[in-house]
Amino acid sequence: MNHIKFLVLAITGALLVSCYSDEFLNPLPDSAIVAETFYQTDADVLAGIIGIYDALQGVNENTESSSIRFNRGIQLEYLLTEHRSDNTRSKTLEGSRADFHRYIVEPENIQSEDYYQSMYEIIFRANSVLSYIDNADEPNVAAYRAEAKFLRAYAYFNLVRLYGPVPLVTAVVVADDKESLFTRKPIEEVYTQIVADLQEGVSNLSNGSKSRASRAAAQGLLAKVYLTQPTPNYDGARAMCEAIVGSGEFSLEPNFSDVFYNELNDEVIFSIQYVAGNPDESQGFSSEFTSYRRQGRQDGLNIVNPNLVVDFNTHGGNRTAASFAAFGTDIQLPIPENAEVIKFLPEGSDISDRNNPSYGSSPANAGNDWIVLRLSDILLLHAEALMAGGDTTNNAAIDSYMAVRVRAGFDPVADRPSVLTKNALLLERRVELAFENHRFFDLLRLGVAHDVLSNHANEKGYTSYNIRRLLLPIPAREINLSDGLLTQNPQ
Amino acid sequence: MKKQLSIFNKTVRLVLCLSVMVFTVSCEEAFEFELPEAGSIADLTPPVAAFAYIPDAVNFRTINFNNLSTESTNYIWDFGDGNTSTEKDPSFTFEAGEGTYPVTLTALDANNASTAITVDVVVQDVFVPLPVEILNGDFDGGSSDWKFASFTGGTTNPFNSSSDGSFTNYDGSDNGAKTKGAKWTKATSAGAYLSANTRYAYQAILVSPSIPSERTVRYILEYEYAIKTPAEQAGVAPGGNRIISEVLGAHFADGADAVASEPISQFIATEVLGKTSHTTVEQEFVANGTGEMAIMFYAVTDVDVYIDNVKVYAAD
Repeated sequence: MNHIKFLVLAITGALLVSCYSDEFLNPLPDSAIVAETFYQTDADVLAGIIGIYDALQGVNENTESSSIRFNRGIQLEYLLTEHRSDNTRSKTLEGSRADFHRYIVEPENIQSEDYYQSMYEIIFRANSVLSYIDNADEPNVAAYRAEAKFLRAYAYFNLVRLYGPVPLVTAVVVADDKESLFTRKPIEEVYTQIVADLQEGVSNLSNGSKSRASRAAAQGLLAKVYLTQPTPNYDGARAMCEAIVGSGEFSLEPNFSDVFYNELNDEVIFSIQYVAGNPDESQGFSSEFTSYRRQGRQDGLNIVNPNLVVDFNTHGGNRTAASFAAFGTDIQLPIPENAEVIKFLPEGSDISDRNNPSYGSSPANAGNDWIVLRLSDILLLHAEALMAGGDTTNNAAIDSYMAVRVRAGFDPVADRPSVLTKNALLLERRVELAFENHRFFDLLRLGVAHDVLSNHANEKGYTSYNIRRLLLPIPAREINLSDGLLTQNPQ
Repeated sequence: MKKQLSIFNKTVRLVLCLSVMVFTVSCEEAFEFELPEAGSIADLTPPVAAFAYIPDAVNFRTINFNNLSTESTNYIWDFGDGNTSTEKDPSFTFEAGEGTYPVTLTALDANNASTAITVDVVVQDVFVPLPVEILNGDFDGGSSDWKFASFTGGTTNPFNSSSDGSFTNYDGSDNGAKTKGAKWTKATSAGAYLSANTRYAYQAILVSPSIPSERTVRYILEYEYAIKTPAEQAGVAPGGNRIISEVLGAHFADGADAVASEPISQFIATEVLGKTSHTTVEQEFVANGTGEMAIMFYAVTDVDVYIDNVKVYAAD
């Protein structure tokens, strides 16, 4: 009888120990929707596809400010690209957003981490839909699959250019399969996957949508991938560009400003859509690009560097007035110090009075679309493909180059060069596509990133610059989660 | 008393029992000597040494190294000739010049784990001479860009602008008709006819300098010239009708100083083929130590003489 209390003690102990590993404290609620039960019909699969675009779109910082719980999609991309080129900078030097233009991004940087996670969120959602794609109606399966793979390729293309070799996950894996989740794969292998995914898009997608993946979008992205991959495929890139131009579905907007303020216009091939005033569907970058009368959370981001203004003055043509503007006392300077981007002004903006601009009723919830691909980019890629790494006298290349310049107000005869050089092409891309997150990738692709950016850093006194800064560090959080599997880039 | 003892016994047994339990659970940790490494995780990511290098733009012997090692904090460089460095991104000058040097980088982390990599660094003189652009070399712009800033005791007029230049365009293509050129006459001649009206065409150029006992940089001054035949115009100057082209070893503001200086190279053109029948001269010269040089043309002639399409470019 005396032993009963020990028995009770022992049983209680045993229970305490065993409870821990038991799942009965965390049962799966019958009413919960999980992937296995969600994808039943064609409409469910389509909803999953739309969900991938949602990850791409990201959540507006002005609406949901928690950096822990929300990904920003491509809304912070200008920090990782334009700020790290010679185009733009942050006005203030405070905070982690001001690290990019000075080349001092550390593994702990929250915006870099957010972008990395956003891209893998796209990849995760794409992989998830792909594993249930057969539940869609048979005639739609091939197109749905190609659409998911297009978006996955887009995310990997961004990752591999910014972070170098990255883990290549092409199926849904369980959280403790760390080997698959955190083993970095060689750049060549990542590009092989990107090319395969995009080729599926070229074969199985059709044209028609500009806000969702289309054949032209896959062709355009593939052309850029062909030119960027370690061994460029110039013929492939040329063929892709010619297919887009030959489709006859796209044309340059006669008025440069309409490219940005007439959404889904004839020039746009693929854009990410936002809705003004809608907290769930709006973007925050438009407000961050203001500074003189700031509408964003920072003192002004994507502030235009004077050396870009110099290039605009000589090569911008009518694009200059539609690309950036100086405010306040900066107006008097021949080369403004702190000009602001005006390609993405929020709805209802009026900047005609440069001392008193206004930005509409909800600048923090802006609806300007983010253009990923447009025809002038493709035309210049066509010229680049024909140049095949050198200068060219090829007329087709110079025709494509001139089509973009003529729209900008240059003379088709007097301003036509007999030889198109790499520098001229790079300069044209700089002013045509300024603030659209192309410059950094252009410098990398054409092999002059270190030359141009080391000079730029010297000139601006960014002493932390070195060749290692061309790759962003892998976010520390990912390395911590990987149990030592994920390696860091050279620091 | 017995009851008390019994309670005492039970209490003792309970306490003993509990103590044994506590001890068996806690002993291991409570009495273990706390090592400094306790609780730490082994470093599973050893350093990986890697580097790239870029030759310096000014001196090809100086190599700027870019450290691409990962998981490392300390570095030891061995440049293969006994010289070492512990900088992260050193620059090193291989005084012996061109050649292949095995350079070893050892990357260490704070645990002194290390790996090394040896790369054969190729030091190569990939010198490309500065290109020289002659301004108004085709004389389409009249006499602009060919004048001295001043000329003590003389004129800054460089020549007579002429429509009797070469049939060849500046880019080498055939124009099908005469282009513009530069002309000298007896009145503007030097030599026996030297006067305050003697004209000199002058242009300063910047070339890649030669470096003594290391690099000799050769350039070519090219131009076309024509001298009228006796049938076209009579007269021969003392010493023959001729055009003199000179390369000078400095920049001159005053024409009088330039004329008084000793030219680095001189060519005397004497071929008489007639107006617009041009002969091409390729006059090679060696760049001086500063790279600041100039070209100068003048004539000694009784008849009209012409030059056109003046160019300067690196030899070979």
